[in-house]
Amino acid sequence: MQEEVFNELAELALKGSGQAIPKSKSYLIEARLAAIARREGFGTMADLVHCLKSRANPVFAAEVAAALVSKDTWFFRDRDALKRVVEEILPKRLKASNTGRLKVWCAGGATGQEAYSLAILLEDELPASLRGAQIDILSTDICKVATEKARVARFGHYEVQKGLSIHRLVKHFTRLETGQWEASEALRSRISFRQHNLLERADGLGNFDVILCRNVLSGMARSARTKVIDSVAKQMMPGGMILLGGGESVIGLTDKLEPARHFRGGWVAAGTANAEASAA
Amino acid sequence: MKTCLIVDDSRVVRKVAARIVRDLKFDVLEAGDGAEAMRQCRQQMPDAILLDWNMPVMNGLDFLRALRREEEGKHPLVVFCSIENDAEHINEALSSGADEFIMKPFDADILESKFAEVGLV
Repeated sequence: MQEEVFNELAELALKGSGQAIPKSKSYLIEARLAAIARREGFGTMADLVHCLKSRANPVFAAEVAAALVSKDTWFFRDRDALKRVVEEILPKRLKASNTGRLKVWCAGGATGQEAYSLAILLEDELPASLRGAQIDILSTDICKVATEKARVARFGHYEVQKGLSIHRLVKHFTRLETGQWEASEALRSRISFRQHNLLERADGLGNFDVILCRNVLSGMARSARTKVIDSVAKQMMPGGMILLGGGESVIGLTDKLEPARHFRGGWVAAGTANAEASAA
Repeated sequence: MKTCLIVDDSRVVRKVAARIVRDLKFDVLEAGDGAEAMRQCRQQMPDAILLDWNMPVMNGLDFLRALRREEEGKHPLVVFCSIENDAEHINEALSSGADEFIMKPFDADILESKFAEVGLV
């Protein structure tokens, strides 16, 4: 890929989604934009860039920026963390709740596998302490196509075989004539999906007991990480928790959060970790 | 080192699967049909069996049922691996004693994921 073409697309990714794509990974750009280029009839990435520059089309530019974000996800990615959300964090949050209602946000949820994994755990392994609770899951992603795929809940041959046991597949999914597997109504009814750019204000999404923002920050430029984590933290209910992916941290990015005492990868409002520890 | 018996009448599938399974730190044994697999199991019971469905002489389902009737045959973790991937076939394999099921075609990620599901890796 020509350097000026790479620079234009990398700049678009940075502005549109906060993604930092190094030159060494320019192949990712070609792979992630291939479907759009094919649909629009662009023979090369240079043609696509020429189109972006020659006519102002913010909707198309946003679509390209969203397509450049990684959609890499699979069922039960880091299942231990998901199990602890169901077995430990949500029961603790329920005790503190007056309403019996809990809300979970999968931020940057791509095609929905994380949200569906959580819904499967709530169906299969609901702790007694959560019985009767209303647990709503919201999954958001910057990409319209990914959000729509998640909402439709149809997954392909390879997707359902990564992280999902065969027992859970036949229990919670139905094989369609197309060869795809469709999630059950019981799972779908637990989750709502919205397109949302994490660089934008999230006030309209509501407040959450648990926010899963896993493997989202790691691909972002530092300035974007700060903006995103501050925005996401604003949506955390008092006493709530944000979960980042393995190896991700917000130290140095924000002073609004501190590590949870008893949950590796968990972050709570600054100044509350001791209270959280004594309540555990 | 754990052993995995790969049972498939396709030499190509056995070769590809063997390479993946070796990368997962297994010693690999191979059989071209269910009857040959049963002979091998009676000599040395493997820790895991990757099992095709449609094979000559003795198919995968008949082999699995026969295996589970053997005294030592209850121990191996059996991962069925088939193009018969509708819910009816899958449930038949599970009720006959399979621990996991891979729908063909598969790749290294899927095989590793399925082995992880049953605690083999």
